[in-house]
Amino acid sequence: MIRHKIRFLLFFLLIWGTSCQKDQDKSDFGLAYPDYFPEPYYKFGKNTLTKEGFELGRALFFDPILSIDSTISCASCHSQGHAFADHNTRMSFGIDGKMGDRNSPAMFNLAWQPIFMWDGGINHIEVMPFAPITNDVEMGETLENVIEKLKKHPKYVQRFQSVFGEKPIESQQLFYALTQYMTMLVSDDSKYDQYRQGKVSFTKDEEDGLQIFKAKCASCHTEPLFTDFSLRNNGLEILGDDFGFGRITLHEEDNYKFKVPSLRNIALTYPYMHDGRFRTLEQVLDHYSQGIVSHPNLDKNLISNGKLGIPMSDVEKQKIITFLQTLTDYTFISNPIFSE
Amino acid sequence: MKFLNFLIILSAAIALTFTSCKKDDDHDDTDHLHEGNVTIDFDHVWGATEEAFSLNKELTHPMLNEKMTFNIFKYYVSNVRLKAKDGSWYAMPESYFIVDADPSGSNLVTIPNVPGGEYTDVEMTFGMDSTRNTSGAQSGVLDPAKGMFWSWNSGYIMLKAEGTAPTAANGTFTFHLGGFKGENKVQTTKSYNFGTTALVVDGDREAEIHMVANPARLWHGAEKLSVKSVNTMPNALAKSMSSNYYDAVRFDHIHN
Ligand code: HEC
Ligand code: HEC
Repeated sequence: MIRHKIRFLLFFLLIWGTSCQKDQDKSDFGLAYPDYFPEPYYKFGKNTLTKEGFELGRALFFDPILSIDSTISCASCHSQGHAFADHNTRMSFGIDGKMGDRNSPAMFNLAWQPIFMWDGGINHIEVMPFAPITNDVEMGETLENVIEKLKKHPKYVQRFQSVFGEKPIESQQLFYALTQYMTMLVSDDSKYDQYRQGKVSFTKDEEDGLQIFKAKCASCHTEPLFTDFSLRNNGLEILGDDFGFGRITLHEEDNYKFKVPSLRNIALTYPYMHDGRFRTLEQVLDHYSQGIVSHPNLDKNLISNGKLGIPMSDVEKQKIITFLQTLTDYTFISNPIFSE
Repeated sequence: MKFLNFLIILSAAIALTFTSCKKDDDHDDTDHLHEGNVTIDFDHVWGATEEAFSLNKELTHPMLNEKMTFNIFKYYVSNVRLKAKDGSWYAMPESYFIVDADPSGSNLVTIPNVPGGEYTDVEMTFGMDSTRNTSGAQSGVLDPAKGMFWSWNSGYIMLKAEGTAPTAANGTFTFHLGGFKGENKVQTTKSYNFGTTALVVDGDREAEIHMVANPARLWHGAEKLSVKSVNTMPNALAKSMSSNYYDAVRFDHIHN
């Protein structure tokens, strides 16, 4: 009887021990962010975030195995040194040197992002990787084939099993792992963040720039993520047949609307706009002050007193740019845990 | 060890008490029937003459008067429920199926572990609930690897019909019908009454519901293939084609 009691005790100790372990894991590894960030939009739910899962996602992100001819990885178009935008090319090159028709956006703070792509067509981060993997000019693969390749790869079989348990690899696990990596890409250590946390102070021009920015730009590029994730027309001249959000909804009133991009790390991610038409921030600001083109869907924030555009002096523009430079997060772009 | 055994027996006993309690509650004359599987068989026929439909067979559309040969015809059916004689419903949990005219897939929907009893109605959704379209990576028949999910405009393709047609531009037709929001939802819930004979579920005894579906119905109201042979996004045409198809699915008979 006593022996049984001891076993029973041991059993409880074991349970207690594992739960204790879990707590420790949590504090070591998880989504950390400053208190002025809102609650993340993405809920991990069934996709339990673990260090191993994140590392598996990272391995997949850098592995050209996801493309049909093993030449292109996610990282080919999303480079850490550029805050996971492309290497300052206007459009990205995929398999066989094929060129896409939009500029590769930067990738960070994706756990807060409710919609994806310039046109907002993707409604959930977990299914985001499905698009580049199967796009003809990006990775040109089928999901079925990617899964087959991973199943034949002893290293991946073992890694998927240790993260997701002893079951055959399915696309859900591939998506879960990539999502763990993508959501962990938090950029929150720019000079602006250090300023918000009271660690550094702004120069006079940076401070002025922030105030002008708040008055002129923040209605769409809202702090602290520098986007409100809405889809809007910001008055770009219509150059091609990219209808943006209208392509998704087929509603005329959504034509030429694009997702408001975050302006964090903006100095690193030129060229700018969905088609990469502007090379410099000066060009972008000139666009907002005198380049706005009228369109029925033009956002009302870009019309003041019946006049198109945001009125800004050259000095104001320069101060905004000085402020935008404070959004570069050098810790993020050099953080070794995000690299291969 | 003995203690563990004791625990197992104890919990089994508790579980048993509870299940037997439940049975007592809904006591009726079908009490003696055992849980079993129900199969819904979708028989695909073509046009008003209801000739046999199959892939890779040249068919003539009676209204369009155009020849067409399907090589893909499949669609989602979800949220299947059965109505028992006493008016209660048995809803299958996680109820998602692809009905596929290709023999590599299946034209059968199997509902496992249906409580023993007599059933009078079946209800199902053609297409699927919007929640699944917005819940990220799914598995099983909802795995995007099944080729029934749009990558660039998130959402399931609820019905896919592809093939060749000499009158179509490029000689092919491609209809991917889907959409889960707004006025163009490609999803509809239908229920069918079995009439005078009830479906009896009792262990291994066969319990089959035979439905008849008619892919020619997709083009009731749609333009000729020579005019329109491709539609691959959520829109009004997807809505009208799929509705015409779903509306014509009918209950045929029960096989007990
Ligand atoms: C050939 C270049 C290329 C490759 C390879 C590529 N992407 Fe992209 N990525 C793009 C482009 C271009 C866009 C914008 C597309 C659009 O809006 O239509 C994009 C958009 C995204 C976005 C949306 C960002 C936002 O803010 O909306 C995410 C996330 C993303 N890619 C992740 C990935 C992942 C994960 C992989 C690997 C599975 C990958 N990408 C592979 C070029 C690429
Ligand atoms: C009405 C909403 C709105 C306002 C106000 C606004 N923007 Fe934008 N901004 C957008 C949208 C939408 C885009 C993406 C447009 C596209 O690519 O088609 C964008 C894109 C940008 C880009 C390019 C980002 C990239 O990653 O390519 C920069 C830089 C930018 N805005 C800076 C500013 C500045 C600075 C201000 C204030 C002077 C400002 N914006 C005001 C909506 C706005």
